[in-house]
Amino acid sequence: MRKQLQQQIERLKANGALYVDARWYPFEETNYLLMRNGNLKATAASRESGLGVRVLYKGAWGFSASSDLSSPGALFDHALENARVAAERVTFPVRLAEKDAIQAQFTSPCQINPFEVPLAEKVAFLQEMDQKLNQPGVFQRVCDMTFMRKQIVFVDSEGSEIEKTITEVFGGLQVSGLDSQGESHERSYVPGRRGDTRGWETFDLQAFGQHADRIVKELNEILVADQCPKDTRSVILLPGILFLQTHETIGHALELDRILGYELAYAGGSFVTLKDFGSLRYGSPKLTVRADATAPNSPGSFGYDDDGIPAQDNLLIDKGILVGAITGRQMVEEANIKAKRQIFNGSSGANRATSFYRVPIERMTNINIDAGQDGTLDDIVANTPNGIILDGARSWSIGSNREQFHFANEIGWLVEDGKVGPVVKNATYKGDTVKFWNSLSAAGDPSTWSLEYVDNCGKGQPNQVMQLGHGVPVCRFDNVTIGE
Amino acid sequence: MNERIVQTLRDLRAYALTKTGLDVAIYYHEEDSHLMRFANSAISLNTNEHLIRLQITAYSGQKRASYGLITDLGKLDEMKRGIDMACEMVVHAQPLSYKPTIPLFTETFVDESAYDETLAAISGEERLEYFNDAVKGLETDQVRLSGIFNNGSTIIAQINTRSEHIQYFRFSDAQISSVLAHETLKWETTAEQSAQKKSDLDPSRLHHDLAFLLDCYQNNTPRQIPLGRYDIVFGAIALSELASVMNWIGFSGGAMKRGFSFLNVDQVGKEVFSKHITLLDDPACMATFPFKRDLTGIPRKSWPLIEQGVFKGFIWMQDDADEFGTQPTGHTVGHPSLAMQGGQHQVSNLAELVKQPRDNDLLYIPFLHYMNIVNPSKGVVTASSRFGALLLKKDGSVAVPFNVRVTQSVLDIFGPKVAWVSDTTQAVNVSGSYGARNPTAIILPAFIRVNDLEISHSNTAF
Repeated sequence: MRKQLQQQIERLKANGALYVDARWYPFEETNYLLMRNGNLKATAASRESGLGVRVLYKGAWGFSASSDLSSPGALFDHALENARVAAERVTFPVRLAEKDAIQAQFTSPCQINPFEVPLAEKVAFLQEMDQKLNQPGVFQRVCDMTFMRKQIVFVDSEGSEIEKTITEVFGGLQVSGLDSQGESHERSYVPGRRGDTRGWETFDLQAFGQHADRIVKELNEILVADQCPKDTRSVILLPGILFLQTHETIGHALELDRILGYELAYAGGSFVTLKDFGSLRYGSPKLTVRADATAPNSPGSFGYDDDGIPAQDNLLIDKGILVGAITGRQMVEEANIKAKRQIFNGSSGANRATSFYRVPIERMTNINIDAGQDGTLDDIVANTPNGIILDGARSWSIGSNREQFHFANEIGWLVEDGKVGPVVKNATYKGDTVKFWNSLSAAGDPSTWSLEYVDNCGKGQPNQVMQLGHGVPVCRFDNVTIGE
Repeated sequence: MNERIVQTLRDLRAYALTKTGLDVAIYYHEEDSHLMRFANSAISLNTNEHLIRLQITAYSGQKRASYGLITDLGKLDEMKRGIDMACEMVVHAQPLSYKPTIPLFTETFVDESAYDETLAAISGEERLEYFNDAVKGLETDQVRLSGIFNNGSTIIAQINTRSEHIQYFRFSDAQISSVLAHETLKWETTAEQSAQKKSDLDPSRLHHDLAFLLDCYQNNTPRQIPLGRYDIVFGAIALSELASVMNWIGFSGGAMKRGFSFLNVDQVGKEVFSKHITLLDDPACMATFPFKRDLTGIPRKSWPLIEQGVFKGFIWMQDDADEFGTQPTGHTVGHPSLAMQGGQHQVSNLAELVKQPRDNDLLYIPFLHYMNIVNPSKGVVTASSRFGALLLKKDGSVAVPFNVRVTQSVLDIFGPKVAWVSDTTQAVNVSGSYGARNPTAIILPAFIRVNDLEISHSNTAF
């Protein structure tokens, strides 16, 4: 197959293509189990294979994909034909940043292949969790686990050939209950990443069990709690919500394709402009953010991106100042030319596709906030005269240029005079992105730092779902509007 | 009906019948998708995918397991292995607390009425020509085109071990979205179109809508509007977001039973919404890419959800009906055919709306971006305006506002505060392109005016 791909790539080059790559998925398999109120509602598995071909012709992209590999030549021709049509409307011919030709392999660290674990063992895990959650006050209980494993062979016209085998595991628990007015509330547990691997071994029965007890206890506190007040105060965000705040208002805002207007028809743009790099005070000096695709245990680490660029650890925000973006080969070239200065020194290795039948686009890797020096959660609370601790993402809605946001949380604990007070229900907060990050007044120490993940980040047309990570500490922000 | 698909399904059924003691249902999905994407006034991507998906569900009493694969018709052995996998999994699955119903198709049902060969076969050059016509003369060095022309065809076919009969559906569809945005000022305008057949395509309508909005945006300085309460006119695309979320957390009996609905059984038959609101699930409406039978074989008919403000009752998918011990209502479908009826207020397009005399300032919101559910029990949602909002002043002038955030209950938006509903309706294509192709559109009034809604956040810039 690899030889066939090389031959087809050479053929298209001879027919005028400037660049060609092919991503062959010999297999991609998934396994999904969902238990709701003790009922195993979903016992599902899937397997797919296929080929995606990307062609650059006269400055325009064409792409074609199929699961039918009986005539790969036709698929390559389709991709070239699509590029020929696209070349009829070009305003800024696509250029690709330089890269090295690489022959490499990457296998994500995994001790126990989840696809070799018997189904009965997985079901037993869910049953045990379901029984733990089945307690007074709980109206609905949900336990789920998802496993993914794929092999990708990347070949391009610049001499690269990369083979990747990636295994991912995801899972979580959720309980919901009804308060005295019949209003629904929920509490969930999505485990942060621990250890250096990402196989079945990360499903720690004891840890899940402890957190099952905790979320049931917290749900029952929510069900009898008062309404979250409407006012302005400090908010202390635990990693279970700060990861999403980071995702939505730093990660997406710093995707270079969005900044350059390539998502305007759908996901939106960014308030960030090319002039802002090196000067915009995105956050307070306590804010340092990096895109780190080298963390071993996160779905945001993949060895090499779908441009064939090795994983990197790049600064995005350095002590509050915007310095970097999430980039692939195409966008950095366009940005540097449009900015009339070299903002970016090559691709940051963040161009990824969700499957063989989607084209690579700029995607987050692990967008992490460095731990700070403001102590533990207890220390931060002790230094907060009037605040609220928030955790859990109930809803999230972001402005089209990522300039403002509204989040609803599963739970809030009021903080008065440096002490944790009562739980409140229907907690929300909102703000303007830059103002919010500049109000960062405390960043927790490494003991508060946790690597969370997102397994369903949507972007692009045709739509793509991607998996990635966010390592974040506990952080406090001042003068934030809550309760709306 | 494609005979090769039918024969493949029959071969697979014959194989499944060898699995003693088990039932097997086979769901075939084939898509031929084409998407031309525009950005910065260029074609940023031109792509096509041809994919065949097979979903195999095995049943054993109260146990159920499914196995999916992306395959092609030449791989019968691979498909049979998929049946083996599902049958192996179901042995180890845990029994449900209820017995899942296996559909019994009593006759072969073929519906290709929503398929138009000429739309399915439209070429790349034609897609480009449509866009060139839609924005002719409107682009500048600063005002740049984005958008998509997404079209394709879908075949869904089903068979199972309970009978030899097949259900077969075929659709063609196109979803067109055009955006003209200012590169540095960052304002955005949009016009969209949904098509079920090629003759639906009308780039001149998009051109008219975009030209009108561009004129407003280029001749007005955008400004922040004060927080407070406004009389809001929602456009059809904004209404499609609201109707979709209302369908998700309102009408499903399963959602209600799980505490995830803002409606309850006590409200059935009562005037919960404005008397101006009538909403149907109407499979006779071809613009919605309808399923005329559901995926369990139940013939579908026009089904009132809201009738002059009265909530008519919950809908039940088969699995929810099985779990909660009630009867399914023919709503086990890839998507419903939502159709909200027009009202009495005579207005057919934005230019007419702007010209009409008004008793108050009206905030026109054509599009709601990134809607999410803040509180499902109360139907509270939040989203931001986008793509061409206008402040229509009482004195007849027009201003351009920066985007605003609306956080409201759908019970308020479609409740007693509704002042009027436009007499004209339009189809809004709400298809997503995650996963398998599933063309979906909703029929909505072109405009609905709702008085006295709160704006909780007002941007200082785009």
